[in-house]
Amino acid sequence: MRRGERRALACASTLVAALTPQLAHAHLVSTGLGPVYDGILHFALTPEFVLPVLAIAMLTGLRGRAHVRLALVALPLAWLAAGIVADATAIAVPDALAWLPLLVAGGLVTLDLRLSPRATTVIATLLGIALGSSNGAALAQAGAGVRGVLGSTAAVFVIVTLGAATVTAWQTGWLRIAWRAAGSWIAAGGLLLLGWTLR
Amino acid sequence: MSRFGRFAVHALLAVAAALLSPAALAHDSRPAYLQLTETTPGRYDVVWRTPLMSGMRLPVVVRFPEGTRNVSGPAERDFADSIVERRVVQVDGGLEGKRVEFVGLEATITDVLVRVQLRTGETSTTLVRSSKPWVEVTASPGRFSVFTAYLQHGIEHILLGVDHLLFVLGLMLIVRTPWMLLKAITAFTVAHSITLAVATLGYGHVPEAPMNAAIALSILFLGPEIVRAWRGETSFTIRNPWVVAFAFGLLHGFGFASGLTALGLPQGDIPLALFAFNVGVEIGQLAFVALILLMVRAFRILEMRGPRAVQLAPAYVVGVLGAFWTIQRVTMMIQGG
Repeated sequence: MRRGERRALACASTLVAALTPQLAHAHLVSTGLGPVYDGILHFALTPEFVLPVLAIAMLTGLRGRAHVRLALVALPLAWLAAGIVADATAIAVPDALAWLPLLVAGGLVTLDLRLSPRATTVIATLLGIALGSSNGAALAQAGAGVRGVLGSTAAVFVIVTLGAATVTAWQTGWLRIAWRAAGSWIAAGGLLLLGWTLR
Repeated sequence: MSRFGRFAVHALLAVAAALLSPAALAHDSRPAYLQLTETTPGRYDVVWRTPLMSGMRLPVVVRFPEGTRNVSGPAERDFADSIVERRVVQVDGGLEGKRVEFVGLEATITDVLVRVQLRTGETSTTLVRSSKPWVEVTASPGRFSVFTAYLQHGIEHILLGVDHLLFVLGLMLIVRTPWMLLKAITAFTVAHSITLAVATLGYGHVPEAPMNAAIALSILFLGPEIVRAWRGETSFTIRNPWVVAFAFGLLHGFGFASGLTALGLPQGDIPLALFAFNVGVEIGQLAFVALILLMVRAFRILEMRGPRAVQLAPAYVVGVLGAFWTIQRVTMMIQGG
């Protein structure tokens, strides 16, 4: 594993270690259509979840199809497993650290590091664990339970698939720079959130 | 559709079926219904209809604003699928601008359709959700509120109707070209619109139990056809999926109609409600088809492939779910459920 990859993995590992054992706070929006759809909507309306997942889609899309295919298995599975565990234990990421996934995932897209498929898979898995546990605990508190976690997992799968396919198809010339710029905005969002947390 | 395209849809179907099958066992989106008709100033005829879920009454209670007293009733009447309570109430100063609450609704996934008719003839219709379990009575003209309420209900009905969506997905697995897909989806839409209108306007009726069993059978029918299409074989259905879509679409339309008529809407609003409900169903259906097509396109770009077992699994999931529902619903029909 190269030096850049080790740094990236160290960042992601620190992220997971820092984020895991805390109580989560629920802010679920009810669709009136049951817990599966509530889970989907909760994910879709929570920028702290959507933006890092989009960043993973961009990161793997920029690196190539092999990266995407592995991440498409790893991220949703990690999200699902962590969500189910969090649903049972109600522990996850504290709100005060919501900036970290944005900063890490967005930063990795911005840097456009030449990571191996294994490295991107590990990063996707770690982010899946961190974000999935937070999401699962929030859904558990709101009463959506495992079916809510299943709904959000499906949403993660769809978002990563569509996002990564878009980046894969459109990355020639200035478009690649545009994706990296988008990643920098996500990272900047993380910094803003950090500033807001520290105010 | 290419082999890869089929795989992509198959994989998606496997995920969707695994995800939604538990919900599909209880495909029931019947809302409760509250009708308030002002007869004299401040006096209202109240009809409160709560659906029975697995034989149990919906645990929701109507709470009128302070200053409300019963003039007569409440009198209850039991039906096969619901309980209807009637009473007359007197509200000091009338209901306009006041809030009617639904205690316990927040703990359910059911909606309440509220229809208010004032002495002036003005009506308003509101769909109350569990996330906001109350309604403020207003004297709005009502046509727009009827439209939006039934539009929402149409979208909800198709999104919760896993059996309908599974049938559409089954059709998408069979078709080979975009033109065939367009014809099949159009045929399904036209057919279910016809029977939805026929049933809602009272020109035809199919008993609910046999209809539900037949809808399940339509899904079971598609399972072997999907396997046949994947193997490169042909059949009448594979050559002419639009015919099957039309034929079974007629059945599914009766299913949609049961969802609409379960609301118990008064006759005067039915044409508008029917139109809005159908538009809602089409919006939900087209959104679903669009999502599947986008996913197929994405899988193609990403060059995703899987082993044969994974590719065939969705066809068997369709078949197994169709068989399960068929057996379940035929059993219920025989038992008189």
